Amino acid sequence: MNNFLLSTLIFLPIIGSVIVLLLPSTYRDSFRWISLIVSVINLLNIFTLYNNFDGQSSDYQFVEQHEWIRMSLGNLGVLSIDYLLGLDGINMPMVLLSGIILLIGSIASFTIEYRPKAYHSLYLLLSGSIIGCFAALDFFLFFLFFEFMLLPMYFLIGIWGGERREYAAIKFFIYTLVGSIFILIVMIGLSMSVQDSFFSQEMGGTVHTFDFRQLTDFKNYIPHSILHPVEKQLIFGMPARLFAFVLLIIGFGIKLPSVPFHTWLPDAHVEAPTPVSVVLAGILLKVGAYGFIRIAYGFFPDIAYQFTYIVAGAGVISIIYGAYNALAQEDLKKMIAYSSISHMGFVLLGLASMTVEGVNGAIYQMFGHGLVSAMLFLVAGVIYDRTHNRLIENFRGLSSVMPYFTLAVTVAFFGALGLPTLPGFMGEFFTIMGGFQSEILPDWVSMLAMLGIVLSAGYFLWTLQKMFFGTFWANRNQEENMKDLDFREIVMLYSLAALSIIFGIFPSLIFDISGESVKAFLNGFYI
Amino acid sequence: MLEKLSHILFSSRVLLPDLLFGVVFLVIVAAIAFSQKLDTERTYVLFNVLIISVLISIGFVFYAFFGFYKQYFESGSVLFGQLIYLDSVSLFFKLIISIASVAVLIHVWVVGYKVVGEFYAIFIALVWGLFIMTMTTNWLMLYVSLEMVSICSYILVVFNKGKNNSEAGIKYLLFGATSSAIMLYGISFLYGMTGTLNFVGQEFATFLSQNSTWIAQIAIFMTIGGLLFKLSAVPFHSWTPDVYEATPTPIVAFLSIAPKAAVVLVLIRLFSSLSIDFRMILAIVIMASITIGNLSALWQTNTKRMLGYSTIAHAGFMLVGLLATNIIGIQSTIFYIATYLFITLAAFLLIDLLALKTESYELESLRGLGQENIFLGLAAVIIMIALVGLPPTVGFTGKLLLFTALWESYQTSGSNMLLIVLIFGLLNTAISIFYYIKIPYFMIFKEPKIGVRYYQIGIIRKGFLLIFLFFIIYLFLRPSGLLNLIESLKLA
Repeated sequence: MNNFLLSTLIFLPIIGSVIVLLLPSTYRDSFRWISLIVSVINLLNIFTLYNNFDGQSSDYQFVEQHEWIRMSLGNLGVLSIDYLLGLDGINMPMVLLSGIILLIGSIASFTIEYRPKAYHSLYLLLSGSIIGCFAALDFFLFFLFFEFMLLPMYFLIGIWGGERREYAAIKFFIYTLVGSIFILIVMIGLSMSVQDSFFSQEMGGTVHTFDFRQLTDFKNYIPHSILHPVEKQLIFGMPARLFAFVLLIIGFGIKLPSVPFHTWLPDAHVEAPTPVSVVLAGILLKVGAYGFIRIAYGFFPDIAYQFTYIVAGAGVISIIYGAYNALAQEDLKKMIAYSSISHMGFVLLGLASMTVEGVNGAIYQMFGHGLVSAMLFLVAGVIYDRTHNRLIENFRGLSSVMPYFTLAVTVAFFGALGLPTLPGFMGEFFTIMGGFQSEILPDWVSMLAMLGIVLSAGYFLWTLQKMFFGTFWANRNQEENMKDLDFREIVMLYSLAALSIIFGIFPSLIFDISGESVKAFLNGFYI
Repeated sequence: MLEKLSHILFSSRVLLPDLLFGVVFLVIVAAIAFSQKLDTERTYVLFNVLIISVLISIGFVFYAFFGFYKQYFESGSVLFGQLIYLDSVSLFFKLIISIASVAVLIHVWVVGYKVVGEFYAIFIALVWGLFIMTMTTNWLMLYVSLEMVSICSYILVVFNKGKNNSEAGIKYLLFGATSSAIMLYGISFLYGMTGTLNFVGQEFATFLSQNSTWIAQIAIFMTIGGLLFKLSAVPFHSWTPDVYEATPTPIVAFLSIAPKAAVVLVLIRLFSSLSIDFRMILAIVIMASITIGNLSALWQTNTKRMLGYSTIAHAGFMLVGLLATNIIGIQSTIFYIATYLFITLAAFLLIDLLALKTESYELESLRGLGQENIFLGLAAVIIMIALVGLPPTVGFTGKLLLFTALWESYQTSGSNMLLIVLIFGLLNTAISIFYYIKIPYFMIFKEPKIGVRYYQIGIIRKGFLLIFLFFIIYLFLRPSGLLNLIESLKLA
């Protein structure tokens, strides 16, 4: 029964998007309900997958494979592209996260009044391609969804965004496109260097493949191919594999984003409407991290060893630089955006440690940060909806008039700064522990990362204190607008808060899923 | 003697469509002499368009029918004593040209251009010239067909007397004449070196390699000058933006695909039999075309001019497969052209449909049109990302295949030059998004000047554009059919 469930996850939103597009625009209310229903069905399906997932196995499960493109390259063999989906412990948490965040995002989209038809159509398109990107096991298919996320995102920021939306949208687009072109180069190179071991024997020729399972196996590399792991081929005097790894790091580093490729993120976040910010921070950044794990580290473990310092360094610099930037921000949303950069740095650190704890911690951090950052951006959205203003200094003592809101904010802030029992703690704890345990990383790297936790406590607590404690006051006579959460906002914030607490107290909900796969993933490094 | 005579008779039977085109050309010219009148009524235009389309299709079907005689088809048949060479590849390119010409004629009618009768005569002569060009392996025949195409194009460009038309026409004529002259000069060199006019034979290859490489390279470069002019590749590109801006859009659409396809076929034939290393010069031409085309397009404010520069960049991409010098390179080039056919025709149709509303081709005039008509906004997004080469459009598949071929060639030859071209091409793709996205950007993001006014485009116009959009997406999802067809072609 599970043989088509993954496809349903991808195509249901896409079909929904087409339906929304075809309905006359006078049915204004129906669009939001369609996108809500689609998201709910998707989440239920994902729960089914999650329940049936066998955590004891490191194999890909729920695999769907269909032949898509077969192109003969003459005497060079055959180029084979498959429609290939599947889940293992690394992408199962990401699909689960996508289901949750997309549902929250579609609830948050209820307030969109400006051209709802186009909005929901694009939102559903984005949903489908996000899940497709996580579930794809064929590099070509992955790249396709990866690229395809750009367009709906571009329009969602560019049409429904804030004042400088056009600038932010095009900046986001160009940055990510340059990154994906780097990935494309590596994709072409890999597929030309790897053959499908099974089909090649069967058909008596070379079958070039994009299959993730084949690409991770060094035995499948064609002798004398440019990216062959043992024969060190050179490009401009540099080993070709090193070249490819650097391209991947830049490509996914832009998406992650890691300092110094992060500058698009604050712009995009500040200008994006709340639900789009939620999706952007909650899921899209994880696509970059997922690409790091699955593709950069999965296919180039030999080079990844040499690059441990650089990747961990980028992680630590992101942690500290992002945190210092967040300290200096006056705009609440911008502060949260920089805190995202800071927290995604832990993912890089955990990955670079190449220990079981570190990589598991990185996956957990991705999941936890997804939940928490979604909450944080909803919080910023709540304030912006009421006052069209996000400056921290304009508000004081909100706790006296908005108690429910304050409770949610507290959970979100403490979740982000790493209070035990909330998800931020587990992720940071395990990544830093991985950093200390790692034989290839010196201890001071992890110590520096711990400084980031202190800094994040600083900016979150100060913000909490400035905005929520003291006597109530809001700038520009906005006092009467500061009403407490309505039902919709309570549903969104409190369900996320509940999930944060559940996953914070029972981190094994994720570790049980990811453990075996991560072990297998790391075993691949030591062959 | 008798043998020769029967060969000629046989050859003429094969070339019946060409006779048909010739007769039609003369009939139309004669008919116009008696009724000197502008076709103002759209029904007249429809009537004429249908007739010409049917004739071109008949012409193509004739060739295709000939293709069923397997014994001539498999290895290609040499006709008229090596002057004409008909094989499956030329048949495929004839198909591309036929589709382009029929589409352009429908475009003329759909958008409601007022054309005089001579238009049809010249147009059919142009198609005739292109058909011959796809069958040529002989310098002399190549020159004749090229001139036929050129002269018809000169006339078509200045046909609709407008403000800048004559200027563009003169520019086109001067550049064209000059590059033709350069080409003739090059051909005379090559004839001197090899003593043969046939450029695919063994003789040509052997004798050419006996000369010093650089002089052979110069001669080849001069010779393909005339072809690069038609392809609007650097350094023979400077006519493109002016002509594109001033010429009626359907003709521009035709010029942006049909002559290019024919020229690329000639280049494929030439390069697959070339015995000297020509890759360095080709690589420079490619990189210059892609870069100059893209960088100049960045600053344009007129959509037609912008698309003009974009075709320069695409000309560079078309040549990438030839640089790869392997069979997959040639196949990808053919695939690229076959798909670019739909993309470029759709792009020009789109801006013409928009101009119906705005009566201007300026980017600024597109403000808010996508909000007023969501269909056109959506179409603009699809077409422009297809031109950039992003999924889910066939533009992506085409570029992916080209770069795969280039990479494969790099892997086997280890020549860094190929890698540089690859990186150049890919980075340029990122640059090109800047200007392509401007069209949907203005249509969807910018507010219209006088509020949003919804408007409709007719069902026929919509349907016609939808056909192109269908192919742009469908060929991405299911490229196998087209790929298999291209694989089945007997490439040298």
